[in-house]
Amino acid sequence: MIQFILKGIVRDKNRSLLPIIIVALGVTLTVFLSGYLGGVFQDVIQQNARFETGHVKIMSKAYAQNKDQLPIDLALLETDKLKDELQAEYPNMRWVQRIKFGGLLDVPDDDGNSRSQGPAAVMAVSLLSENSQELDRLNIRNSIIKGTIPTKNGEVLISNDFADKLEIDIGDEITYVGGTMYGSMAFQNYTISGTVKFGNIGFDRGAVIMDISDAQQILNMENGATEILGFFNNEQYQSESAEDIVKNFNAQYEKSGDEFAPEMQSLEDQNGLGEILAYSNYMSQIIVTVLILAMSVVLWNTGLLGGLRRYKEYGIRLALGESKGSIYRKSIIEAILIGAIGSIIGTLFGLIATYYMQEVGLDISDLLNQSSMIMPSTIRAKIIPSQLYIGFIPGLVAMVLGNMLSGMGIYKRETAHLFKELEV
Amino acid sequence: MEPIIKIENVTKKFPEGEGEFVALKNINLEFQEGEFSGIVGPSGSGKTTLLNIIGSLDQPSSGNAWVMDKNVAELSHKESAQLRNLHLGFIFQVYNLLPVYTVFENVEFALLLQNKSKEERRKAVMQALEWVGLENIPNKKPSKLSGGEGQRVAIARAMVKEPKIVLADEPTANLDATNAHAIIQTMKKLNEELGTTFLFSTHDEKVMQYLNRIIHLKGGEVEKDEIITAQNPKS
Ligand SMILES: Nc1ncnc2c1ncn2[C@@H]1O[C@H](COP(=O)(O)OP(=O)(O)OP(=O)(O)O)[C@@H](O)[C@H]1O
Ligand SMILES: [Mg+2]
Repeated sequence: MIQFILKGIVRDKNRSLLPIIIVALGVTLTVFLSGYLGGVFQDVIQQNARFETGHVKIMSKAYAQNKDQLPIDLALLETDKLKDELQAEYPNMRWVQRIKFGGLLDVPDDDGNSRSQGPAAVMAVSLLSENSQELDRLNIRNSIIKGTIPTKNGEVLISNDFADKLEIDIGDEITYVGGTMYGSMAFQNYTISGTVKFGNIGFDRGAVIMDISDAQQILNMENGATEILGFFNNEQYQSESAEDIVKNFNAQYEKSGDEFAPEMQSLEDQNGLGEILAYSNYMSQIIVTVLILAMSVVLWNTGLLGGLRRYKEYGIRLALGESKGSIYRKSIIEAILIGAIGSIIGTLFGLIATYYMQEVGLDISDLLNQSSMIMPSTIRAKIIPSQLYIGFIPGLVAMVLGNMLSGMGIYKRETAHLFKELEV
Repeated sequence: MEPIIKIENVTKKFPEGEGEFVALKNINLEFQEGEFSGIVGPSGSGKTTLLNIIGSLDQPSSGNAWVMDKNVAELSHKESAQLRNLHLGFIFQVYNLLPVYTVFENVEFALLLQNKSKEERRKAVMQALEWVGLENIPNKKPSKLSGGEGQRVAIARAMVKEPKIVLADEPTANLDATNAHAIIQTMKKLNEELGTTFLFSTHDEKVMQYLNRIIHLKGGEVEKDEIITAQNPKS
């Protein structure tokens, strides 16, 4: 019997084509939009992860509580050892040390007097070590506007806008004025090897990037760091693994009263990124719901039209001894088949569109030129596993729902009424 | 012998505006198994209405209609579908073939509903097509058939399950004389060979000359019930 229905669907283009197109269209939209949203949110999260939060981040308990003030006196010590232990225990992640601190940059003139000054946020990462992944992770190579990456201690990168403001250029000397982690004054001269622009307002306003060994030296923070970041090997955030690692790690130090004991936080625990993740899921759900409703209404109507067109067929089948219930059930089976075909096609197209937007992307840097938003300059979609069902199931449900609604009307008609259609 | 169809005081009313329209008035009729009879009468006299009730597609407003010992007036949807499926065949003025299916598939459909095996279906369908002389074109689509061929497929479809009763509502109205005669002769032959009971509604003189019995309907009432004994159809 299924075969019989299938033949009908395949041969009667009117019966199948329009609904398949509608379902495929709706599903394509759903799949693509969810991939698009997924991509955009993932970019925001990825940027945050790379510059700020890591996939997980370890700080001292005390530092964690005051992290907004960048309290270098509360930094972690013996971090090389801790990092090696982490690498051994969680080999599916890469661990890196960073130091963040603030200070004043002073640009001296020829006489040694101050020519210009400005507050700086310094991020010290592993720039000089041979197998550092930080250059890639922070996309430093591509962000250089002028000059080069530091090749030796004493060279730093400075954000391009900041350099303009201070009226300095590559090769110029700047003086860092600040304090060590023990509270004494610290001065140090650095040479600017290059300027960078990340397309990230926080960084582009007044940042200095230096090698971590330079920072340890000036802050008197030998073998220390304000934070250790963990990144999954594939650079993709995995919520559940991250939570497991956090729980596992923190359990070791739970009972410790030492305020310098390390504490781990996941990406979601920081910077409100958990909310962003939840929000992106919520948005996807709204889109899916709206599209299901819209598709159902359209399909209900096409179902009604199709039903009207097929009164005659229903009449014949009734006369041949098929019960109304059976006709109704078979029209639902038809809907399931058509819905499935449309949904498969739609999912495919949606994935193709997503793939295109993932590989090629939409360059919006011209649009963003005047904007100070923290956004990647190229919008990229992202193929995510949920796209396999996020459109498929609604497509099927809408088709079946639409058909059930329209079928109900036919079901309620008197047999004799349906039969009347045969006399014309 | 128990009649195969027994109409008892059947009245059928249709709502019409404020009041109601009486399409059948207190009809009483009996048909024996193997009859080849027809209902004739002017348009609007209630022929189709009566056939629909016998075919359990409609129910009488009052009275009883016994078909194969089942009272149509009391059957549920499911039971009446069952009755049609097993025992009743229908032939219409327009052939009402399912356009997307082939000749073979149109005839096969009734058997699909009976859950017959593929082999059983194939045999029965080819047999039925042979009865109507279409065994050579099982794979044609209805749109490619002539009027006479279309109506033959409809007969094969009605006959394939070898029902006890075939109800034919003006089966020749859309056919030319040659085809009309051929169709009626085919049905007459099946009536004689298989013992199937045929009940027609018709205006057609050509049909009437083959009938054993003619029931004249007028204004929803039986005007005359005429038994025709051994008579040679003229052509
Ligand atoms: N569902 C219905 N609702 C209202 N009136 C109906 C309905 N079905 C039939 N009638 C009326 O009942 C009367 C008998 O109709 P019926 O179709 O039985 O006539 P008929 O003898 O078959 O006519 P024809 O030769 O034109 O086919 C007609 O006046 C028709 O208008
Ligand atoms: Mg009629």
